[in-house]
Amino acid sequence: MENIIHVEQLRKEFKSYSSRSGLKGAFRDLFTRNYKIMPAVNDISFQVQPGEMVGYIGENGAGKSTSIKMLTGILTPTSGMVSVNGMNPHKERERFVQTIGVVFGQRSQLWWDIAVQESFRLLKKVYNVSDQAYKDHMEHVIESLDIGPLLDKPVRKLSLGQRMRCELAAALLHNPTLLFLDEPTIGLDVLVKLKIRNFLKEMNERYNTTILLTTHDLSDIEALCDRVIMLDEGSVIYDGKLAQLRSNWGEGKQIQFQFADSNITELKLSMVCNELPVEWVQGNRNNIWIASVKNDESVISALIGKVVAAHKITDIKIQEITTEEIIRNIYEEGIVYG
Amino acid sequence: MRYISIFFQYVAQYMKTRLTYRVDMVIEIMSDLLFQAVNLVFILVVFSHTQFLSGWTRDEIIFIYGFFLVPYAIFGAFFNIWDFNERYIVKGELDRILTRPIHSLFQIILERMELESLFGVITGVAIMFYAGGRLDLTVSWYDPFIFVMMVLGGAAVYAGIFILLACISFWSDSRTSIMPMMYNIGNYGRYPVDIYNNVIRFVLTWILPFAFVGVYPSAYFLGREEWYNYAFLTPFVGIACLSISVVVWNIGVTKYRGAGN
Repeated sequence: MENIIHVEQLRKEFKSYSSRSGLKGAFRDLFTRNYKIMPAVNDISFQVQPGEMVGYIGENGAGKSTSIKMLTGILTPTSGMVSVNGMNPHKERERFVQTIGVVFGQRSQLWWDIAVQESFRLLKKVYNVSDQAYKDHMEHVIESLDIGPLLDKPVRKLSLGQRMRCELAAALLHNPTLLFLDEPTIGLDVLVKLKIRNFLKEMNERYNTTILLTTHDLSDIEALCDRVIMLDEGSVIYDGKLAQLRSNWGEGKQIQFQFADSNITELKLSMVCNELPVEWVQGNRNNIWIASVKNDESVISALIGKVVAAHKITDIKIQEITTEEIIRNIYEEGIVYG
Repeated sequence: MRYISIFFQYVAQYMKTRLTYRVDMVIEIMSDLLFQAVNLVFILVVFSHTQFLSGWTRDEIIFIYGFFLVPYAIFGAFFNIWDFNERYIVKGELDRILTRPIHSLFQIILERMELESLFGVITGVAIMFYAGGRLDLTVSWYDPFIFVMMVLGGAAVYAGIFILLACISFWSDSRTSIMPMMYNIGNYGRYPVDIYNNVIRFVLTWILPFAFVGVYPSAYFLGREEWYNYAFLTPFVGIACLSISVVVWNIGVTKYRGAGN
């Protein structure tokens, strides 16, 4: 199948100058400046196929926003090749944006003091959508997002959750084949988040809309995306199935013991279970210890049996490693294995 | 064609919003008119002491002022880009503009229009009729057409210069105070340029051609034949200014760095 997004060696550099300190430094800056060239996006390459839902994750400053802005035609790349929907986003901007929808969670697409439906009407004109196409498509969108009652209210009177749903509808007004969502669920409550996720899934199934999603809320990614692209310091450090990331990194279990005796030490614990493959870490109190082990019934049972037999415990918990922890681990180590 | 229909859609929307805030609108129109009255009084005060200013009579200068108000009103209505840097670059609103399938500058014009300023056209024309009546000017059938051309040319000069100034923000994201200064320089164009020394005259004609907004085109209607060459340059200077500024704008957009978020 033809790729809907094709990125090859994409790079964006920003030139910034570092100011010297003090008044004397400021005077010197007037004449000569120390420019530094910082690559915000450092030769990344990836492809996305039609109908995929891809999570685009990374810490703040990893280059997510910059690369999304290059994909949507807002920024011009320093070098490299971008082709989205078969077009070069920056070169053919006006024709290109007709085929994509964009939601920036922290920025509104709608006009602040006019009613939502008036905003939709203006956008309909801007995107040149025919009445028939608008009716066919938007009636469904409005219904599934449940924004019918909000249409005659001005945007400034809407709550964040209501506004976000309207933003989403506005981005889909011209029924784009590709949707960019930058932090769409930021600051929203659980119910609205769920509603938005269900809606996105439905759009994906019904229209085969490709979705590229950046978020800090990994539960969004878990709920929606099969594939994640992970960025760190401007480079792609992982590109693949979310499930595989979990199985490579999250195959262990964590068992948390709370002991009655607060004088417990790592030495005492490792003496109890010396032949088992286990790592001990102290929890947030000195009588709490966490054991990380492989996800293997016999090891887990043996460990619990030995520890409980030797020391009195008041509580025990078995946890699977969450995606969040996996990702935190990856960022701490900076590379992905496997 | 599509742009024209979008334009009217925005105008309709603009009127609707404005009509919901009636008090606001009345106050704005009033303060606009008051501002113009103050300017006129200033001219009258200057001329209460002399009747001539390097060969121009009081009524002629009032006429030039009246003419100047017309292109200035059009500029004011559609080119509110004095806060472009802060609003679109620093706050990153340009991101949104660039994700829509219309030319970015056109969208900003649509978003920032202030149609109340168009009342300045009425004031300007009224002042011209008052001064013209006292000067016994005759109007021929083609004068209204020439008037429209001159006005559009003048407005284009203004627009071009201010778009160019806005473009500075694409390269340097620090705030500059050049905009207010330029508004002041722009006002020099409404007095006869031969009252200034040669350097200023040259600047106002060829570098920051504000003289083409007021004096030069008015000279045609006042029948001052020694200025006719300049007067008929007005539409061309307007087209040149606007085209250069749009070209620079298009280059500038590719240099846009975006606001971090």
